[in-house]
Amino acid sequence: MEGDQETEVYTLVARKPSFDLPTACPNCLPAYIYLKLAQFPFDLAFNSSFPDSDELPYFENGTYVAYNNEDGGVIEKLKKDGIVNLDAQLQSLPEYLSLKALIASWLEEALTYEIWVGTEGISTSKIYYSDLPWVISKVLFYKQTYMAKNRLGITKENAEQRETQIYKRAGEAYEALSTRLGEQKFLFEDRPSSLDAFFLSHMLFIIQVLPETSVLRCKLLEHSNLVRYAEKLKAEFLEASSSSPSPPLHSFPSSFTRKGSKPKSKPKVEKTEEEKKFKKRARFFIAAQFLAVVIYLSVMGGGSSDEVEYEDEDD
Amino acid sequence: MQQGIRFIHKNNENAFGGAVKLISPICSSHPPQLHFLMANPAETPESNPSTPKLESEDDREEINGDEEEEEEEYEEEEDDGKPQTREDAIASRIQAESLFRRMRAAPVPVRVHDVIVKGNEKTKDHVIEAEVDVVREATTLQELLKASKVANFNLQALDIFDSVKITIDSGPPELPGTTNVVIHVVESKSPITGQIGTFTKAEARSSSLEGSLKYKNIFGYGDIWDGSLAYGCDHSAEVGLGMYLPRFRGRPTPFTSRVYLSTQDWLKFSSYKERALGLSLGLIASKYHELVYTTAWRNLIDPSQMASTSIRRQLGHNLVSALKYTFKFDKRNSPLRPTKGYSFITTSQIGGIAPDSRTLRFLRQEVDLRYAVPLGFYRAALNFGVSGGITFPWGSGYKSRASYVPERFFLGGNISPVCSLGGPSALWGFKTRGLGPNEPRREVQDEENGGTYERDFVGGDVAVTAFADLSFDFPVKWFRDRGIHGHVFACAGNMAELSENKYRNFSGPKFLETFRSSVGAGIVVPTSLFRMELNYCHILKKQEHDRAKSGLFMTFSTS
Repeated sequence: MEGDQETEVYTLVARKPSFDLPTACPNCLPAYIYLKLAQFPFDLAFNSSFPDSDELPYFENGTYVAYNNEDGGVIEKLKKDGIVNLDAQLQSLPEYLSLKALIASWLEEALTYEIWVGTEGISTSKIYYSDLPWVISKVLFYKQTYMAKNRLGITKENAEQRETQIYKRAGEAYEALSTRLGEQKFLFEDRPSSLDAFFLSHMLFIIQVLPETSVLRCKLLEHSNLVRYAEKLKAEFLEASSSSPSPPLHSFPSSFTRKGSKPKSKPKVEKTEEEKKFKKRARFFIAAQFLAVVIYLSVMGGGSSDEVEYEDEDD
Repeated sequence: MQQGIRFIHKNNENAFGGAVKLISPICSSHPPQLHFLMANPAETPESNPSTPKLESEDDREEINGDEEEEEEEYEEEEDDGKPQTREDAIASRIQAESLFRRMRAAPVPVRVHDVIVKGNEKTKDHVIEAEVDVVREATTLQELLKASKVANFNLQALDIFDSVKITIDSGPPELPGTTNVVIHVVESKSPITGQIGTFTKAEARSSSLEGSLKYKNIFGYGDIWDGSLAYGCDHSAEVGLGMYLPRFRGRPTPFTSRVYLSTQDWLKFSSYKERALGLSLGLIASKYHELVYTTAWRNLIDPSQMASTSIRRQLGHNLVSALKYTFKFDKRNSPLRPTKGYSFITTSQIGGIAPDSRTLRFLRQEVDLRYAVPLGFYRAALNFGVSGGITFPWGSGYKSRASYVPERFFLGGNISPVCSLGGPSALWGFKTRGLGPNEPRREVQDEENGGTYERDFVGGDVAVTAFADLSFDFPVKWFRDRGIHGHVFACAGNMAELSENKYRNFSGPKFLETFRSSVGAGIVVPTSLFRMELNYCHILKKQEHDRAKSGLFMTFSTS
């Protein structure tokens, strides 16, 4: 599945598949679904040794890479770089922004909570640690659980209160989305958008990965129109992946150019060229001084002959 | 450190065939003891003394040597009574000389009756006795002297005593022809010692500065515990805790264990940083053989997010559980300026020794052969060296799997090939990780980026290097006295990738065609900490993207 032989091949690198999903990681699935909704041809590759990285998923083509921890995520970056943009006319709509905020905050929080705290991480071993040795997976599990709790602001004192709040918000969000969707095929008019990708990924994950005892899962299954929406889209876009790709919904330039805003330069460039040169020169100067002192002491002071003195016995 | 063998004379005509009078040390009216002091405490004796090859010159040196030191020893003797008379001293000397004459003529048979250990409050008896077992096997006086030297050396090598004295005493009077060996040790008063030194770590392939604190002999088994901090030239840092046991459950070789936390920064060269938390156990450590088991949690990260495709694929966590065997045969006369001799090292490593199949599985083999030929004028010598290495994953799908980047070979750096023993590592003129398979980094529209270092060197699965070095002294005495000498050299090396099905593209002729090479000359300055070379290198052949430039180049090597 390492489809990097030609530079024209786009590859999405995600975490391993499981639970009947092409990638079982809740952060990677939206990007995958987004590309499938756009019917954009790409290869899928897997990284199973970095469960605690926020760089995954990343989308690459030769020397071009879109990491998930830059520019608001892979999907945003793909939109910005003009590779795939399903939200072209939708971004100005007020409902778009409010739905996006709802999905990105309340639903995402609910999912994070349910994976790491609500179900006590039952599913995480298959999602994240299937290829890692037991010792490492145990340590990383504790680390990631701790980080999730931190992110959600859960402490011993407010645990119960926070849980109630998270589930309540999730329930309200499902209600709102169910009302908004009705019996439509997509959330917005008759065209897929990135919000469909996020929401569909959220639902597929909850339905297929979380155990039946999950509170969130029960809440979601109460809305039958949402479940039907998920099944329809899954059947049409995800399970049809083996068939030959139909012409894409949105054209993209064959030799892609990065239109629009200037892409973010190296994330860690803080020093200017001058400072770098100065620091380098300073380092050389100090090293040369130190060397001169050492040579002076050793050569002038000793005159030791060819054999090195036998001093490091316990080597 | 005080050291020595004391040979006590006793009034026992039966011992040694009556040729020598032995004098009891307790009786104060008797003549003083005669002392044999070590001629060279640092020489390494054989562990099993062979049939006595009595070198008369050696003995004579010893005897002559200790005549000056006799006074010194005499002062330090605590159980000496009143001062001896001059006539007694002369008589004793005559007796001793006749004994030596007898010893030079033929082996003097003797049997070791008992080994007595004194002065050890903390150290367990069996620890000391295990190191001096060799004296029990001696059958003649000459053998006994040699064995005592070995035992003395072994005990000092434990590094837990301030002084060691071995006394050869005559045995009980009812058993003629026997001796008792009395070992008197003084344990270190201050159990904590600190030291700072420079070393060359095999994995890092560069010199590092290490400071350590040692706590010796806490439990009395000769155990040494140490905490150390090491900083390497290649931006690596390591903190570790180690334990050393000279004897572990009766095994003949020492046992070492070490827990370490290390980081290595290769961002500039290969766009990744390596962090490792590991435990290594030294199972066998003898003169020629070494077996080490290491288990470590390694994490590769890329904070710059600029890595090339191959490196990106390798980022993440890995558990390494590997066994490494090294066979080292070094007969060169010096590790830093070899002028004569040869050496051979082979290192084999197998990773994935664990019941869990998800640990890193790889095989690694390195071979290094050196030969030094002295040329006879100006202490000139010709040094040749060839080294090679290969690594490959094993397990299901091993042909298409990529080898682990930190286990691959990287050539180049500021160490000298003459000194870096143990696998292909350095070539004069090429920068650290400056040659071999490379890939473009992540593309970034950055006008400030001058285009330098836009490529990652990902290392090779097979590497070969060879060098030839002619070193010579300068005619000026001032340089000769300080060991500063010159050298002229040539080297060549190459690497190739084999894993991920790239072995199909590998061909011998193409490998030879793309060989990198350089020549040059320079001055070598040996200092007490390291060997420094200031060279002018001319790159004869390099490939596109190699980081190598003709010009002045400095290297630092430690032994």
